[in-house]
Amino acid sequence: MAPPTDTSQPRLAPGCRWGGTEQERMILFPEGAIKLQGTGRQILERCDGQRSFADIIAELQKEFGTTDPEKIRADISMFLEQLQRKRIVDY
Amino acid sequence: MVSNPLALIAEVTHRCPLHCVYCSNPTKLATVQSELSTDEWVSVFKQSGKLGVLHAHFTGGEPLARTDLTELIAAARAAGLYTNLITSGIGLNAQRLQALIDAGLDHIQISFQDSREGPANWIAGAKSHAHKIELSREIRKHKVAFTVNLVVHRQNLDHLEEMIAFIEQLNPERVEIAHAQYYGWALENRAALLPTHKQLEKAVATVAAAEQRLAGQIRIDSVVPDYYAKYPKACMGGWGRRLMLINPSGKALPCHAAEVLPGLSFENVRERTLDWIWQESSSFRHFRGEDWMPEPCRGCERRKEDFGGCRCQAFLLAGDATVTDPACSLAPAHGLVETAVREANSGAELAEPVPATSFVQLQKLTSDLWNYRTNPE
Repeated sequence: MAPPTDTSQPRLAPGCRWGGTEQERMILFPEGAIKLQGTGRQILERCDGQRSFADIIAELQKEFGTTDPEKIRADISMFLEQLQRKRIVDY
Repeated sequence: MVSNPLALIAEVTHRCPLHCVYCSNPTKLATVQSELSTDEWVSVFKQSGKLGVLHAHFTGGEPLARTDLTELIAAARAAGLYTNLITSGIGLNAQRLQALIDAGLDHIQISFQDSREGPANWIAGAKSHAHKIELSREIRKHKVAFTVNLVVHRQNLDHLEEMIAFIEQLNPERVEIAHAQYYGWALENRAALLPTHKQLEKAVATVAAAEQRLAGQIRIDSVVPDYYAKYPKACMGGWGRRLMLINPSGKALPCHAAEVLPGLSFENVRERTLDWIWQESSSFRHFRGEDWMPEPCRGCERRKEDFGGCRCQAFLLAGDATVTDPACSLAPAHGLVETAVREANSGAELAEPVPATSFVQLQKLTSDLWNYRTNPE
């Protein structure tokens, strides 16, 4: 299994969609749901199939200006990889 | 205050064109006349949405046997629920599939009995395999989530690798490898279905290898059969804790098999609200929490993980719903499971699939081996 590349366009996998309320946003998928807060939510809200992995990193690096940019990249990459393994995200 | 149910299992009918020998439906099926109407189901979905339920799992029997299924899916989706259709696919063509998806179907799960046509139809007691393959191709033309469910047991486990390869080319996002669970018809047919140690060991390795190979492409969810596990399964995630099942005639049950339990009476959605049933009914409160627990559960660290196992299995095997699930190696009644496992490993040959020209003939030819699931009146 390969991690996303700069040109990957992450998106929710078939049958996975947003649900819940504004205060408690979650991703619904075939046999479950995950509540998303903070960074996780910020990443997934950008996984729209339009933005590239590089775009998403750039946007979030701006947001967290003080954090090590390489760490941000590594964290987002691992997050998306885990979700692809669960078949919640495609990239 | 009890937290709300997370999922609703909508057993919309017990009618089914298949006769699978491992069916976990009760042997006493709900009659056609007693089935809830469209409006009654719509009310159930609305109430579920308000209660905070997230998923509606449509199952049966065969949900497609209901001609109003599209309407029901639309109502569940309108109530804010994630809609999952668990089906054999019999009764579904391109047009009806399109209508279900237009109605908001999120996920479709097709069961396969085998990779090979003869054995698959023999297990199902119906010629269904070829149609399922055709339908799987149709499903992949849509953006709906697709899961293939494969029930495994003594008669098919020896070629699990081949079955996984077969499923791989159907290209689902997800595969469920489910060992038969011994309730209803499956319990009657247990001797023909319970795998051997050797089969199980090999299956665990096969699944692990497939998970590795298919990571990121197909998610594999599999469960170890509880007869071979050290500890029992957390049946339904705990009694009255996460799930509510509505059976075809409107009875609200904490699990698929609960109706077999003596001394419990189950409320009907025709008479009571879902909220009341969940919070107040004696049936949902009966085995909720830990007050009912016997030893060794009461003092066991795992009680918060497996909730004492399955109440129905305790009753079906040990004759007492209040004892520790006999599947647990610590259970006083564990000997019952050990005996069944010992018999499964004492050398009975695998059966040979037999071709037949009709279901009646198939029933006759296999009557020494098992009983096929029949249909409700």
